Amino acid sequence: MWRLNKVRHKAGRQGDSLEELRLKRREHEKALRQARRDRQLVSKRLLLTEDEEQSEVTMDTTSGEQDVVSLFHKLQHSGPEREAHLKALSKALRDPSAQLTFIKQENSMHLLVGLLTGSDAQCRLQAVQCLHKLSHSPHTNVAPACLPATPYLLTYLSGQSTKFTELCLYTLGNLCPDSDAVKEKLLAQGIIPALASCIENQRYNLAVVEAVGFTLSQLLQAKDAAEKIIPMVLASSLPSSLLSVLTPDPKFGLAPAIECAWCLHYLACSEYSRELLAHGALLQCSSLLLSLGGAVAEGNREEGLELLVCPLLRCVGNLLSICPVDSLSSQVGDVRLVVSLCALLQTYIHTQPALARETAWVLNNLTAHSSAVCSALLTLSLVPGLIQLLPFSQGINTMVLRVLANIAHKKKEFCVQLARLGLLSTLCATLKMADQEMVTLSLEVLFVLLVSRPQVADEFVRQGGVSLLEAIQYNSEGEMRQRAAYLLEHHLLSYPSDCTADNIPCS
Amino acid sequence: MYCGFSEEYMKSSGNTEEQEPRHGELPFSFTPQCVHLHRDHELFEDGDIHRHMYLQDLYTSEVDDKPTLSVSEFACHISGCSAVFSALEEYEHHYNSLHRHVCCSCRRSLPSARLLDIHIQEWHDSLFTILAQRQDMYQCLVEGCGQKFRTSKHRKDHLIRIHKYPPDFRFDKTKKDKGIRETKRLQQKDTNMEVVDDVCESEGVCEVMCGVLSDQPEQGESMETHVSEEEAACMAKPAATEEHAGLSAAVHGNECSSTETLKPRYSYRVPSTVCFGHGSIRGFRGRRGRRK
Repeated sequence: MWRLNKVRHKAGRQGDSLEELRLKRREHEKALRQARRDRQLVSKRLLLTEDEEQSEVTMDTTSGEQDVVSLFHKLQHSGPEREAHLKALSKALRDPSAQLTFIKQENSMHLLVGLLTGSDAQCRLQAVQCLHKLSHSPHTNVAPACLPATPYLLTYLSGQSTKFTELCLYTLGNLCPDSDAVKEKLLAQGIIPALASCIENQRYNLAVVEAVGFTLSQLLQAKDAAEKIIPMVLASSLPSSLLSVLTPDPKFGLAPAIECAWCLHYLACSEYSRELLAHGALLQCSSLLLSLGGAVAEGNREEGLELLVCPLLRCVGNLLSICPVDSLSSQVGDVRLVVSLCALLQTYIHTQPALARETAWVLNNLTAHSSAVCSALLTLSLVPGLIQLLPFSQGINTMVLRVLANIAHKKKEFCVQLARLGLLSTLCATLKMADQEMVTLSLEVLFVLLVSRPQVADEFVRQGGVSLLEAIQYNSEGEMRQRAAYLLEHHLLSYPSDCTADNIPCS
Repeated sequence: MYCGFSEEYMKSSGNTEEQEPRHGELPFSFTPQCVHLHRDHELFEDGDIHRHMYLQDLYTSEVDDKPTLSVSEFACHISGCSAVFSALEEYEHHYNSLHRHVCCSCRRSLPSARLLDIHIQEWHDSLFTILAQRQDMYQCLVEGCGQKFRTSKHRKDHLIRIHKYPPDFRFDKTKKDKGIRETKRLQQKDTNMEVVDDVCESEGVCEVMCGVLSDQPEQGESMETHVSEEEAACMAKPAATEEHAGLSAAVHGNECSSTETLKPRYSYRVPSTVCFGHGSIRGFRGRRGRRK
């Protein structure tokens, strides 16, 4: 299982300076971004024992390879040293070229499988360790070589040994993305039912739950997951199991919830997400977000929280988009979810703008068809905070402006309130922005505000809005010109255009 | 990294209380809509990367590479003016300096309402020209002076002698000067709103020429701007003394503001529906023509 603080410790241990670490991380990040663009974003996990973590990995490949060969030969003879040899083999197999060497040895896998299924429990454990190292290989031809072991790994998922089960799971999870052939085999061998019963039976063993979540997420990320995998998963007991472990355990930490939330996200993105609605996923994710947001608002800065918040946001966002409007209130539950969302927005705006943008997206989906939510935003004094976010680009202000537009489109009373809260003067600024989408959207909002009450038009004129709209009529974009012209002709016609604050009678 | 949502498929799962029924003629199209994002959407990129960094044991809670949250820029709306600003005050200053008192007929920008009025009168008013043959029509430019003169030369002398103005005061060009300049412009083939340096030199004032043409016979919008077409359109105008008919789309605005950056320019025509003439429009005056 993964503890976040362990991660940093390991990274530091290798003697790299902080700057080197940063450089490495940046390089890595760049590679991941490219991989995502190529739709090849795949990760594997390596579970290490305590002493494995302590010892250094020797980078001497030649000796590693030789070790592997000699160890393999030694292992062909039974005896009490077998366990020790296996341990040594496991260590040696951390090296990628040693991995290749091993699988090239004739009958190497056959031997390993024999030890995996033999009567010596310690040897079984060591054998699975070896397989686990192999599964982590960056070479794609290693995974197919491990196929003979998979039916046994799956069988062992219903076993009771925690460490062993974990290793089986992570091994399977690592093997999944490597080739379609491997995936096909695993599906045929019943990996999904095996995962379903594993997580159900081991619900209170959070390390195992985390491992199941990881393995499932690997399956769900497959390019063709929507064809077979997702329907199978939705038909099983997995959705309800995933939902039941979503609330993080304070002692164990966030990791299991993180894995399960990501699984739910991949499911919620799919075309079959309605099934998730039926399981109450929207309600569950919303209430969890509510409490997490509340915690964040109170100053909780638990490490890794955003790793959980992110998939939850996405689940809620996408499930909202397919939720029938009339069941919205029952599916979302407490409308004070907006408080949490706004708190998350404010928290992430400077540290993680992309996450802030996703939060704003969820707010859009929440406000699109619900007067109750819009009303709550106003009553709970959340609108001024939203208005303050309108200067920020990279898609944040357009999304937030959509939210405000959603509110304005509900009722005239809302428009009046929005105007009173300063939206009009802010629009006078957003109408001058370089971002065309912002300007067009601002004109849309302005339209709705102007038709709500005559006093709004008065106020807009008082703030110098007329000359602003006139200027827009000279814009290169027809979309903007048409809207500006319309507003001037139909709603501001009665104002002589040299109206200023001085000569408009206060209403 | 971020893409706009205009292309995104929006699912509208229903209708709630709408304020007004939608009419076909309204140019407004926004309706509240849910947005569904597929797994590989660009919006999800950062979060996915973060997730995988965590899986690969590269997670850090320290924000070492502080993600730069950027603020939206402001941009001048006037087509052809590609000025961009990082602060609202800069925008305001730019607009007020260069676009506020603009003559609708010849697109010249004057520094004040009064000078604009005088300009329109003296350059674009045929009645003025007629009256000026018989009476003193040229006002002194100094506010409060009130004196009027038979010719612009007389006024200029007055300005220099009495008010100690420089002989090359920038806001007192004669129509003749303008004519020379206009001819220069007519000869200009390139209509992509290039900066005309020499014009700036001679005029002094930052003259922003908006790509707006008034009184055009055609209603539609065209993305091409050709001097010859413009000429033709303007020659067709009934106004007798419209010597400035050769409207060009030259734009000059960038050198005069210290905060602008160059960006791709526009080159097109704004339909006549857009420039309209309310009696006393603050920003754009002097339009005699009808709208639409």
